[in-house]
Amino acid sequence: MLLLFVLFPIAPAVAAAACGWQPWVGRVAVATSGLLVVGGGILAARVLDNGPQTFDTLLRADALSAFMVILIGSVALLASWFSIPYLTAELTHHHTTARGAQLYGILINAFIATMVFAVLVDNIAVMWVTIEGTTIVTAFLVGHRRTRHSLEASWKYVILGSVGIVLAFLGTVLVAYAAAHTHGGGGGEPSLSWTSVVEIAHQLDPGVMRLAVVLLFLGYGTKVGLAPMHTWLPDAHSQAPAPVSALMSGALLSVAFYAILRVKVIADLALGPAFSRTLLIIAGLLSLVVATSLIIAQRDYKRLLAYSSIEHMGIVALAAAIGTPLALSAALLHMLGHGIGKSVAFLGSGEIALTEGTTAIGEVHGLVARRPVIGVSFGLSLLGLLGLPPFVLFATEIAIINAGFAQGLGWVMAIAAVLLLVVFGAVLLHAKQMLFGIPDEHERRTPTATAFARPLLLGLAAFTALGISIWPIQQLLHTAARIVAH
Amino acid sequence: MTRATYAELLNLLAGIALVAAVLTLWRRKLVAIVRLLAVQGAAVAATGLVIGIDRASVSAIVLATLAFALKAGVIPLVLLRLVRRGPDARETQPLVNVSASLVAAALLIALAFASTSAVVSLSSGPESRVIPLGFAIVLVGFFSLATRGKAPSQLVGFLLFENGVALVAVLAAAGVSVVVELGVALDVLLAVLVLQVLTARMQDKFGSLDLDQLQELHD
Amino acid sequence: MSVTRAAVPILQVVLVVVAGPLLIGVIRKVRARLEGRVGAPIHQPLRDLRKLLTKERLLPEHASWVFALAPAVLVSSAVATAALVPLVSTVSPFAHVSDLVTITALLLLGTVALALGALDPGTAFGGMGSSREMTIAALTEPTLLLSIAAISILAGTTNLPAVVASTLHRPEAVISIGYLLAIVALAIATLAESARLPVDNPNTHLELTMVHEAMVLEYAGPDLALVESGSSIRLAIFLGLLANLLVPWGIATTPSVARLALGTLAFVGKISLLAILLGVFEVFTAKIRLFRVPELLALSLVLSFLAVIIAVVHR
Repeated sequence: MLLLFVLFPIAPAVAAAACGWQPWVGRVAVATSGLLVVGGGILAARVLDNGPQTFDTLLRADALSAFMVILIGSVALLASWFSIPYLTAELTHHHTTARGAQLYGILINAFIATMVFAVLVDNIAVMWVTIEGTTIVTAFLVGHRRTRHSLEASWKYVILGSVGIVLAFLGTVLVAYAAAHTHGGGGGEPSLSWTSVVEIAHQLDPGVMRLAVVLLFLGYGTKVGLAPMHTWLPDAHSQAPAPVSALMSGALLSVAFYAILRVKVIADLALGPAFSRTLLIIAGLLSLVVATSLIIAQRDYKRLLAYSSIEHMGIVALAAAIGTPLALSAALLHMLGHGIGKSVAFLGSGEIALTEGTTAIGEVHGLVARRPVIGVSFGLSLLGLLGLPPFVLFATEIAIINAGFAQGLGWVMAIAAVLLLVVFGAVLLHAKQMLFGIPDEHERRTPTATAFARPLLLGLAAFTALGISIWPIQQLLHTAARIVAH
Repeated sequence: MTRATYAELLNLLAGIALVAAVLTLWRRKLVAIVRLLAVQGAAVAATGLVIGIDRASVSAIVLATLAFALKAGVIPLVLLRLVRRGPDARETQPLVNVSASLVAAALLIALAFASTSAVVSLSSGPESRVIPLGFAIVLVGFFSLATRGKAPSQLVGFLLFENGVALVAVLAAAGVSVVVELGVALDVLLAVLVLQVLTARMQDKFGSLDLDQLQELHD
Repeated sequence: MSVTRAAVPILQVVLVVVAGPLLIGVIRKVRARLEGRVGAPIHQPLRDLRKLLTKERLLPEHASWVFALAPAVLVSSAVATAALVPLVSTVSPFAHVSDLVTITALLLLGTVALALGALDPGTAFGGMGSSREMTIAALTEPTLLLSIAAISILAGTTNLPAVVASTLHRPEAVISIGYLLAIVALAIATLAESARLPVDNPNTHLELTMVHEAMVLEYAGPDLALVESGSSIRLAIFLGLLANLLVPWGIATTPSVARLALGTLAFVGKISLLAILLGVFEVFTAKIRLFRVPELLALSLVLSFLAVIIAVVHR
């Protein structure tokens, strides 16, 4: 049954391969993404009642996996729904060819399938294979537009992403090596199933595990976009087509962080919690500093959103560093909220780029006055990403800061809070110019097409609902957090 | 084969792989560098073959042969085609001069040996004593990747880096299942193909394979 | 101490003094033949030395005692090295001081003496040759030290005769990667120290390409004879050392007359073979550009460093 989750997104990929990209192919993708969300919910319910579900020895769904499936499904739903009018517009404006659209259709669904596979697999080596798979699948998606800039972005993305992922492989190999030579017993082929490694984690040699964990954090951290391995992210996320950016920022970064969380469980059992806590604090603070400093003088709104992703992943890393159940529930909820909110923002930015023809902040004015629907949705998503109530990120950031103070990491939280405040001011300044401000003569009042507006409004609604109450997923969050927390 | 011969063979092959990696920092002609990469890949695959023969494991031998065909045959051929396309891609353009690169390589090799002492002391087999050589290749490959200025030589650095990791994998996890190895090999092949397509596009769009051209996106 | 044992260093010195120029003659002959010429006879360098010794001793106007003394220091350090290094036999009265560091220091003494002597008269070519030579020496000396150190670590002792003796007992130790790397690095260092291609061209007098030849430009008559002789002795020593570290077969381990004779024959045979190979190599190699020489030497340094690390791990 678990296999179905992976197969769902393959269906529209096959359809795109067979028939080229058509609007109905896009609708199939939307349907399968919806199935992912719904199915994820059913899976979550089953896991909460009966414990982790397995399929063959390969796939295993515990609360954390079920939560990630829901996350991926939600972002995928928004992205695929938006892709339909987006691709149609790209084809009409000749930004891409029919073949390009077909490739897009195949790859984006393969991308979603690979991500779902990654969170459902029980084997740390196969988990690595799938995450490496996402790099390959998205390489051509980033370079979809075939301009000089997107080519540059995809080159950096593939090189840096592959280097990172190969480092993670080395770390995985070292974990297998440690597992094969445990002090207790060992010899023979070690099982690389995550559950078995966790069982023998306390017997793993600390010297080897230290090296392994550093490599794994460096490697998967590159895919998450944590500093100092973040340099590919602004280019890749700003040059990719908007729905792809939404999927990458919203889902892929969280899936890569999921991998870090799985590694963290093993690391904490083998080395004690202090080691991974230190690594995550360094990565988190560094990411916040980098993101803040580069948001202040930012001149491109898509790059602004990309740096904001780095910032939010930094916050999630700090939350994971704290390590209490509260902090980890907040981290997971933050990933979900960021996923949905960032999707709305990126999709909105995609629409703005299509109609205004530019991604420069300085050349877009008065969106709220000229084009209310898009202006308001983009603006609200930005406010939500900045951590304003009633959006969910407000609650999670408060919870994280609280948990941090309770664990004695007050100074870290203080620095983070100051940086968040600076980002708040900077983004508001940039947004003010884009949303309000006096429009130039050539900027017209084009109403937002409903095809574009609908996914944006759905996303916004979900984002707001999440902020008001998390009642449906509350128990899921707590159980998932308990898997990682100590 | 005897234990002593086995250990000697492993040492010899890993040593050849490391020397080939260091030599790529020395040579300037891209064609020569790709040939060195082929030699290095052959040595790494041969290590896997020796280990497979020692354990009398058919799957390991088959995998090693496949890896040999891939690392010493297919990938260098793809790279050579790439190098011959670009008219200005005949010589590398290192950002750090050759002598300094070689000295840096020596330091990185020392660093690799220093940091993997825990790994070596964990197991008493002859494979674990050769693991630091694999780590040294990883570091040298990473250095090469970071300091090269032309796209094909950065690719070679990446492949060196990856070969080093493959060597460590073959030595350390001498029991990782076939499926995983296949998945890994496939991933690498696909990554190389993707990079090849991107390089071809780069040649078309930018007219050269100079990575300095990729500086337009920045803050 | 038996007579034969005491005779070993004397034998080695006489051998290299005679064999050095002959080696140069062999290399020139091989090159000539491969290039389609008849070439001078093999003992021509000896005849040149004899001719030079009969000439008047000329010193430049501004030269000091350094210039006058340098050739003597060069030759005496080379001769001292020849007495210590295990060329014909591993047993000799000086075996216990024949250490890795001693040998390297003696060779360096010769190099520095020549460089200082070239600097002394204050001519442009001399200074240029010295500076180039010291750049090369700065990279070759560590390479020499490290590569012989690697071999010492593998053999378990820094005493050269003991190293050669242990390789004699275990010839398969040579096939290990650490040993081979050390030999390769040593070979490159040999080419650099003896001023042969591809590092330096011994037949050129062009300003752009000279290194060793620039240093000896001011010497004439007996001084030139000493310098040429010293350089050829050094070449013989390097080739002998390489040969005995790689293939020590034939070297005398007991001071009997028969064994010494065999050792002499083996030594002469091995260095002749190496000289022929060197000649062939020189025909097919071009001199590398001066600014690329440090790259080659840095490579040999890294290889010798690698050899040391592998040797340390291997133990």
